[in-house]
Formats: sequence, C-alpha cells, structure tokens
Amino acid sequence: MLAIKSLSKSFDKGKSYALENVTFDLKAGDVCAIVGESGSGKTTLVRLIAGLERPDHGSISLDGNIIASMDKFVQPEKRKIGLVFQEYALFPHLTILDNVLYGIFKLKNKKARAQEMLDLVGLGEMGKRYPHQLSGGQQQRVALARALAPGPSLLILDEPFSNLDAMLRMQLRNEVFDIIKKTGVTVLFVTHDTQDALSVADEILILQNGKVVQKDAAANLYVKPNTLYVASLFGNTVQINKNLQSAFHCPLNEECCHAIRNEKIKVNPAALDSDCDYITHAKVIKKIVLGDSIQLLLKLDSGEQLTVMTQDKNIEDTITIGFNSKDILEFNE
Amino acid sequence: MKQAGSNDQAFAFKSRVKRFLRDANKWSVFTLTIVLFLALPIIFIGVELFSGPGETWSHIVKYLLPDYIWNSLYLVFFCSLIVLLLGVSSAWFVSRYEFPFRKQMEWLLILPLAIPSYIVGYAYAGIFDYGGTLDLIFRELNFEFIRIDIMNRAGLAFVLSISLFPYVYVSARAFFLNQANNLLEASNMLGVGERKTFFKLMLPLARPAIVAGLVLVLMEVLNDYGAAKYYGVNTFTTGIFRSWFSLEEPETAVYLSALLIIIIFALILFEKWQVRKIKFTSSKTNNKQIQRKEPKKSRKWLIFSLVFIPVFLGFVLPVAQLIYWSFLTASTVFDIQFIFISLQSFGIAITSAIITVFFALLLIYFSKWSALRFIKNIARVGVLGYAIPGAVIAIGIMIPTLALDKWLIGVLANFGIDSGLIINGTLIALFYAYAVRFLAVAYNPIESTALKVDNSIPDSSKVLGVGNLKTFFKIEFPLIKTGVFSAVILVFIDVMKELPLTLILKPYHIDTLAVKAYEYASDEMVMEAAIPSLFIIFTAMIPVIFLNKLLIKK
Repeated sequence: MLAIKSLSKSFDKGKSYALENVTFDLKAGDVCAIVGESGSGKTTLVRLIAGLERPDHGSISLDGNIIASMDKFVQPEKRKIGLVFQEYALFPHLTILDNVLYGIFKLKNKKARAQEMLDLVGLGEMGKRYPHQLSGGQQQRVALARALAPGPSLLILDEPFSNLDAMLRMQLRNEVFDIIKKTGVTVLFVTHDTQDALSVADEILILQNGKVVQKDAAANLYVKPNTLYVASLFGNTVQINKNLQSAFHCPLNEECCHAIRNEKIKVNPAALDSDCDYITHAKVIKKIVLGDSIQLLLKLDSGEQLTVMTQDKNIEDTITIGFNSKDILEFNE
Repeated sequence: MKQAGSNDQAFAFKSRVKRFLRDANKWSVFTLTIVLFLALPIIFIGVELFSGPGETWSHIVKYLLPDYIWNSLYLVFFCSLIVLLLGVSSAWFVSRYEFPFRKQMEWLLILPLAIPSYIVGYAYAGIFDYGGTLDLIFRELNFEFIRIDIMNRAGLAFVLSISLFPYVYVSARAFFLNQANNLLEASNMLGVGERKTFFKLMLPLARPAIVAGLVLVLMEVLNDYGAAKYYGVNTFTTGIFRSWFSLEEPETAVYLSALLIIIIFALILFEKWQVRKIKFTSSKTNNKQIQRKEPKKSRKWLIFSLVFIPVFLGFVLPVAQLIYWSFLTASTVFDIQFIFISLQSFGIAITSAIITVFFALLLIYFSKWSALRFIKNIARVGVLGYAIPGAVIAIGIMIPTLALDKWLIGVLANFGIDSGLIINGTLIALFYAYAVRFLAVAYNPIESTALKVDNSIPDSSKVLGVGNLKTFFKIEFPLIKTGVFSAVILVFIDVMKELPLTLILKPYHIDTLAVKAYEYASDEMVMEAAIPSLFIIFTAMIPVIFLNKLLIKK
C-alpha cells in the first residue's frame, strides 16, 4: 500500500543527506517499525510520508497513487494519513472531544464517531476535559484517538513512547497496540528502542545515517543481521578480528567480517562440552556484580579485552571462555 | 538510475527546476508581493537617485551637508556615550543589588519611552528658558539666575539621550536577569571582586545585547525631527524637511534620504558584526534568576539615588513641567476641537495598528506556508522599515503616489470623473507609511509568540485534513492572541507618538495630537503644547507598564 522509491532529502542543499536513497514497501495491515539512533533520518522519513517535508529525489506512493515526487506534491491535508507526534501535539485550547472531532468531516454522525474513538482508548468519560488536565499517558491515547478518528489507511507513530518512563512505557505500548490491532490499520512505528520494535512489529526497518541497512521480519534481524551495526542494536556484539581469531584458534574467511554476541560467549564451559567449538583462557580484570548476574571484564593473552556475563559466583582469576561456531555472525562488509 | 550526489550537472539543474516548480505556490507569490509592497518606498528612493539631484544640491553639498554630517555624527557619538552610561549602569544596579524601591525603579526606568523625544525637548526648553521654571525658582530664592543655554547641539544630545536610554536599559537588563546567574556565581566562587566581575565578565558578555539596544537608540536619534527642529540643529531629517517644504525640491530630499539610509545600514552592519564576533551568550536552559546582593545601608541609598537620576531627568521632571504648563493653558487649549483631534488621533492610531498587525500576520504566515526556503528569508526584508527614518519613508511614498495620482486623474478624466488626489494627501498614504515604518513593531512580538507554538500543532491539524487558512483560524490564531494583542498596542503607541512621517503625509484637514503639539511649539506657544503632549504620554504609559510585566514574566 505504501511504496517508497529511492527517496532522498537534504537540509543543506545537498552537502549532506538526512535521508539517502531509501526504498521500501509496506503491505496493507502490516505493523512496521523504523528503528534508528537519533539523527538517523527516522523523523525526516516520517515527515516526508506525512507531507510535512518535500523530497529532493525519489517518490512516495500510497495505494498506487504518487503523493510526493520531484514534480508532484499532495498536500498533507489531502493524504489521509494518521500521525501521532512524539509530543502528542494536542490542541491546548480545545477539549478532548473537540480534539478528536477536529479531523472528522464526512461522517454524518461526527460526535458519535469521536465518542466511539474515545471509548476505544478508554477515555470515554474525559471528553469535556482539556489536554493539560490529563496525564502524559492519557494525552498519548487522546492523540491516538484523534489520529484514528478520520479512519486513515496508514497510521504513523513518531516515537510515541519516548516521553514516558520505562514502566509506563511498556504498559502503554501494549495498550496502544491492542487498540491499533482492533482497527486493522497499517502502521509505521518510529522508535529508537529495539525492545519497542521487537515487541509489536511484524517487520523492522533499520536506518543508519539516512540509509536503510536492513528490513526484515523481527526474528530474522537477531539471527541474521546484515551488518555489525544491526547486530549490536539487538544486544552487545563483539567483532572477531584477527587477534581474537588467533586467541580462539578459529581461522575464519578473511573476506567477511565476523562477530559474536557477548551473551553467546560461555564462561568456564564444561571441559568436553561439545557446545563450544572454540575456547581460550582469559584473565579477569574486573568483576561487577549486577544483582543476580556478574559482569566480567576480561583480558586475553593477545591483549584484547572482552566483557561477558555469568551467573557463576565462584570466579577465579583465570577462566576459560568459549563459543559455538553456529553462533558466529557473518557479514559482507 | 540517477541518485543524490550525482555529478551530472544538467541533471542536478533539471531536478532543481522541477522541485522549484513543485514548491512554488500561491503563498510564495503572496509573500513576495507583500515584501515588495513594503519595500516600495525605499526602492523608489533608489530609482529616483538616477534622475539626478535638484538645482540646490551643489549649494547644499557645499554649505549644509558638512553641517548635517557633522551634527549627526556628534549626536550619534554623544548620545551613545550618555545612553550607555545611563542604560547599562541602571540595568546592572537593578539586576544585581537590593535597594529601596528597587521593584518600582525597574519599571519607572522604562517610562521615559512613553514620552516622545520632541516633547522632552519642549519641556527642557521651558525649564531652562528666560522666565522658565528654573528662572522662577532662582528668583523665588533670591539667587542670580545663571542661564544655561540648552537650545543647541549639546542640549539636543542630552534631551535625546535622556528620553531614549531605556532601549539600552531594557536589553541590558534582560541579559543580566536571564543569562548571567551561573557566570556570576562561578566568578564569585573564584574569588573575583564585584568591579572586576562587572568589567571583565558581565560587560563583554552583555555587549551584543547592549549594542542591539544602542542601535535602536541611534535609529531614533537619526529619525528625530521635532526636537532637532526646535533646538535649531541641522540634521539630515531637518534637511529633508527643508528641501521638501521650503525649497520644494523632491530630488534633493531624495538624495539626502539616500545618504541617511547608507548611514543607517552602516549602523546595522556594525550591529551584525558585533553580534557575530561574540556569539557566546549561554544557553536558554539557564532559567535561574540572578541572586541580588544586599549592600550596606548607606550604599543602598547611594544606589537608589544613582538609579533615580535618569528616572527623574527622563520622566519626572519633564512630566512635572508639562503638568505645570497644562494648568496654565487648560482654559485656552482644552476645547471641543481638541477633543475632536484626540479622537482623530486615536482613530488613526488604532486603524493603522490593526492594518500593520494584519500585514505582519500575512507576512509571517504566508512565508511559513511557502515551501521555498529563500522566501522565508526574504520575509524579513519587509521588516527593515523600522530602521528607515519616518521622513525618508514619507518621501519614498510621496513621490510614487503623486505620480500614480496624476495618472489616475488622467484616466478618470477620460470617463468624465474629476477625482482629485486619491492616494496622496489622503489617509491611505498615511496608513501605508505607518505599516512600512512600524511593521517590525508588530512582527516581532507576534513572531515570538508564534515560535512558542510547537510546529507539531499546526502540522497535526494539516495531517488531520485541514488546510492552511482554516488551521490558522481554528488553531494558530487562538494560541497567539496575546502576541497579536500586544502587537496592536505597541503599534498604537508608536503611531500616537509619530511626528515626522505624519507631518509630511497627513491629509490637510486632519490633525493628530503629536502634530498639534508640534504646531503649538513651532508657533512659539510651547506651553500650549503641554496638554496634547500629556495625552500622548498617558496613553503610551499604561501599555509601557503592561509591557514590563510581560518582560518580567519572561
């Protein structure tokens, strides 16, 4: 339903690109998360799709019609896209109900639709209040109700949970996506938090420096990341460079880049444990007790430093570490 | 496939043209039209330069121009000196120390702005004149009256400074209050004394703010006509008036205007250069207010007196003189015609305030809705009128409207209509001129309140399917109402006080309070000027206090 073709946007007349040659598709009914660090171009991408910015190159089409290209631009108000802003952007001088009513035009019974939306987000009783009388989480849900009210074919959520603390965030994330799934709308969900993305998205698109590095099903990204960057987004990862290869006696293909997730490195594996193909010895430089588990900073004979986690409380100064060859990640970088 | 960063120049150019055609919308065209409309008077002065100077130009260059230049430089130099001394010191005392009546002083120090400089000039002339207030007091006390002649360049510099120093005070104080606390604490922790902290730390840091205030003062100095005329000092503005009214040589007025514009742009460049050179004002996150020091008791009263001097000279004394005069002249001045003139004045001021604010709103929002980036920058050009002296704007409007009227009369005569002048010498020209001159006064408060409305709010309205205009009326206008309201008030005050532009462009049968005061003063009836002056001052005073409240809230 949404097709983006070699989309580029620069804010400094082409000296640098906030978004460069981005191409991807979105199927109707999908929930797709866009993940990237701040400055990776997530928000620019969202604003381009919503029509709040204009592309320098490339095109965006929605349901088969081009809505933005180099010679065409459909105004945001004509696009029928729902957008929930990071800062909610509720109209401060309108009641909650009026906020939700604002975008409903064509329906006969506007009020009923707005009330239905408020009921959906569990704020049916609050219609007469003003935005500043609500908590952050409630405002968030109003913003969602407002965006859903006109019945958009595509809903975009721009970092919707970043203003909330960790506990509330998880709770609200589940609530919000329960509501969204009921409506069956296609969702583009921007976040810098991989937990957010993994827990709700069917597909995840990774942006780095304005470029798409990978778009894949959530499960695949962990198992088969395209780059070391993607791998490290989903947990600490260490590159197996020449030194590590010799330390572990594991010669690897020189044309590829290899890495291992820190959590896959085992501490003191049983001597004949077939689980570990490669082992080496390491000195413990530092132990940091993190509640139940212990973080170890290790130094290998080759001089390399490594961090591993263990639950073993009896750690001596020198330990054995190892990993399984099937856990090695391979990239063509 | 071609992509971003391609070296293919033809392709890059083609895509730029494509994007330009895509992004150029009606808002871009509207913005350009408005900017052009507001810049027209200045453009006309530039164009008129090519038709050559008038007959007396060589005479003026030889005999008068050196005087104009020398006097203007003299005023710029000495006004800067006095204004900096008064403005910066009072700002520092008020923000750094606790002393009796400090809170009252904070807003009293702004009040001199409520009095137009020419009125301060009339009041001081009366105080120092033969048979004036000082003379009477001296005689009462049986002292020989030592007359100080202030009707000269030095007196004019004093009068202008004492009425304009609050511009520097306001901007310096805003800096001291909002920016300085962390640095002051750091300096104190390092054991540096008060004096060194002020001269080595605060003064250099506050320089951009101080220079910004100073440039405003100097623009007003160069804009002044009423005071210079009354004090008999030849400046560019009086020169423009003379060549327009006495010599009846528009060409010469245009040449003088062009020279004056050059001087003013030099001033603006100076400010930009100063601000660019030191761009180290700290972040906006520094919300903590300055901690005031408690000096010793005797010191406290000393500081109070130092701060009270400018208030006394700039406000109390001239107002007292005017009140005294108004008692003497009330019976002759205050009649039905005076009430009529006051109402006219109010009507003109409120109408032009609304027109000006309307233009400011159009400019701010049209340029925002334009998708072309350079249009957004161009919008600021429309604001430059605040720098151009009223007399210059008036000349810049007079010349094209006269020509246009001539043409219109000719056209209408073909239809057998005897129209007379339609634009020139009517209120239309006057309102137009006020809008050009005071656009910045409306633009800045509206823009700053508009900036407080996060972009995501209008954006979300648009995403919800509502267009630009409807979004403005339903969402943005309700949120910027206060800014729009204060803009109307500010322009209203400025129009009430305005003299040179009004004198040149006002319709023959219409008077304002400012013009009335000026006419009394130039007819050797300066006492009679007191009542219209006081009317102007009191209408201007209430909002000045109101404005200070806004400033403190910030």
